[in-house]
Amino acid sequence: MNTDALIRNKRHTVLIVEDEAVNRELLSLILRDTYDVLIARDGVEALETLRAHPGRIAMVLLDILMPRMDGIEFLKRRAMDEALCRVPVIVLTSDRDAELQTLKLGALDFIAKPFDMPQIILARIQRIIEFVEDRQIIQDIERDELTGLYTRGFFFEYCRRLPAPKDGAKRDVIAVDVDHFRLVNEVYGKGFADGLLCAVADGLYEVAHEGFGIGCRADVDLFYLLLDHREDYEAVYAGLMARVHALNRQANVRLRIGVYTGVEDARPLDWYCVAAKAACDTIRGNYTRGVVLYDDSLHEKELYNERLIADMESAIADRQFAVYYQPKYDIRGEKPKLYAAEALVRWIHPELGFISPGAFIPLFEENGLIAKLDDYVWRQAAAQIRDWKDRLGVSLPVSVNLSRMDFYDPLLKDRLLAIVAENGIPVENLILEVTESAYSQNMDQMLKTVGELRQAGFHIEMDDFGSGYSSLNMLCLMPIDALKIDMKFVRNVATSATGYRMVELVIEMARALGVPAIVEGVEDEEQYRRMKQVGCDIIQGYYFSRPVDAASFEPMLKDI
Amino acid sequence: MLTLDALRAYGANVDDGLARCINNGDFYLRMVNMVLADKNFDKLKAAMDAGDTPAAFEAAHALKGAVGNVSLTPVFEPVCKLSDMLKGHTDQPIPSQCRLLAEEVFDQLEKARNL
Repeated sequence: MNTDALIRNKRHTVLIVEDEAVNRELLSLILRDTYDVLIARDGVEALETLRAHPGRIAMVLLDILMPRMDGIEFLKRRAMDEALCRVPVIVLTSDRDAELQTLKLGALDFIAKPFDMPQIILARIQRIIEFVEDRQIIQDIERDELTGLYTRGFFFEYCRRLPAPKDGAKRDVIAVDVDHFRLVNEVYGKGFADGLLCAVADGLYEVAHEGFGIGCRADVDLFYLLLDHREDYEAVYAGLMARVHALNRQANVRLRIGVYTGVEDARPLDWYCVAAKAACDTIRGNYTRGVVLYDDSLHEKELYNERLIADMESAIADRQFAVYYQPKYDIRGEKPKLYAAEALVRWIHPELGFISPGAFIPLFEENGLIAKLDDYVWRQAAAQIRDWKDRLGVSLPVSVNLSRMDFYDPLLKDRLLAIVAENGIPVENLILEVTESAYSQNMDQMLKTVGELRQAGFHIEMDDFGSGYSSLNMLCLMPIDALKIDMKFVRNVATSATGYRMVELVIEMARALGVPAIVEGVEDEEQYRRMKQVGCDIIQGYYFSRPVDAASFEPMLKDI
Repeated sequence: MLTLDALRAYGANVDDGLARCINNGDFYLRMVNMVLADKNFDKLKAAMDAGDTPAAFEAAHALKGAVGNVSLTPVFEPVCKLSDMLKGHTDQPIPSQCRLLAEEVFDQLEKARNL
């Protein structure tokens, strides 16, 4: 961006191009209190001066009739030079006939000879400089610097001003997103990622120019395109992917396109864009589909989600969220022994009934509300630990989940310590589960925070291990007290030798790290037997118990 | 010596010229002197003598701006007419009326130079 243009009060430089000494002197006198003045005696000198001071000259005052190179020729040369043509020109003329010609060649205004009064000349120059600077600022911010597409705000503004399509023709809006862009950035580097975004933008630009189309880069890896209705979005997708493959055929990159067909004036365009984006998000991580159309069921789902978001705070106040507990059994001995429990939240909505955590947790993770819910669950779990201790004399560690959002709170450790202190329970009784994907999203910060939590005495379990993208190096650096193996591994154990071997390997990793391996999702006798056989330490799953409320959990406490 | 009063008496629109020079009298007089010594007067004379219409127009056009800027009205008026008359006829011989205007320009120039 041209930052000079943002400094409104900076002293500008004006180049006077004039062969008549009297006129030069007079203009210099008029301008010198307000501007720095440079002089050229003809068009040749003017071009040389402009090139010698790139970006410095804010205005050219140009005579027309001059020796060597006249003003007309100067304007022609200037028009062919991308850098020079940004410098505004006011023509000095006593010849009205020259005005049209110079206007066509890019002059912005005229100062008549003999000159007007100095104040008028100064006002005209100031007005033009401000106009050009404002135009420059708009040009700088209306386009995304990397891709050249419109920025989000200008896209919506320009679309808002568009006339309706002729003859009732339909328009669509598409949202294009790079799947797992953050990982693409990390794995392939910023250079590739930037090239990828430019390739997508170029592809969309081409699509836009096949008919009507206007597009923008709405977010880091999100593009919107408003265009004439078409049916062949699979072809659009193929075209974009071809550009991606042209960058690097080996790169594991995929795009997602969400389409809203039939944009109408009934709603603002951003509603349709959000709808297209919502459609796009339904195929996040889905490697079999690249294009998805928005439909009513999606709309209903959105409305449902909006309802959940709207009701969340009151649900906490009304205690609609119930904390259930699922036992974790230590199976290393002859007889399984209760080792701990995991606190899992359930929502019993007064109107919508039982809501699966799968319906609201990802939603709250997306918009940050999860932090409030987590806090609620931590307090409930801590109070339960204390209650069991008081009533039954049992100190059972209970694990709670920490979401990625929680790590943005610089007071996280203090909050957790306060909860532990308020309930008078040992720090190690409130186990913290952190998903593997949370680690990989901001590794340095996570390592630091988790390290501090462990120093404070909390035990950390890495949740869903095997579902994310951890490198072995990363795993070595992670400060953890237990490795929870993703339940997907368990499903494959009984059916495939490779699946069995994989679990074996992960358990070996846990051994190497010196921490117990916890396997979740163990549902039946066969899986249990195999897990025991493979050397698993702790088991969680329906085989022992589904998550139950605190009262139903109590009979299991005798197994401790 | 050239003074503001002498220029006024001569017929120059001194107030107008001074205003253009931000009421700096010394600067204005310096500009007037520069105009009176402008080489375009010599070029105009040579072009008129040689019957070179394009050159005559070029010189008259340049003088029109410069002389006008110092509001040397007695010179400005004929030079302005001369420039306008020559314009658009640069492919033709110099009209006789232009010669009369040129003579007036030089007469007035001479008077101004003698102030």
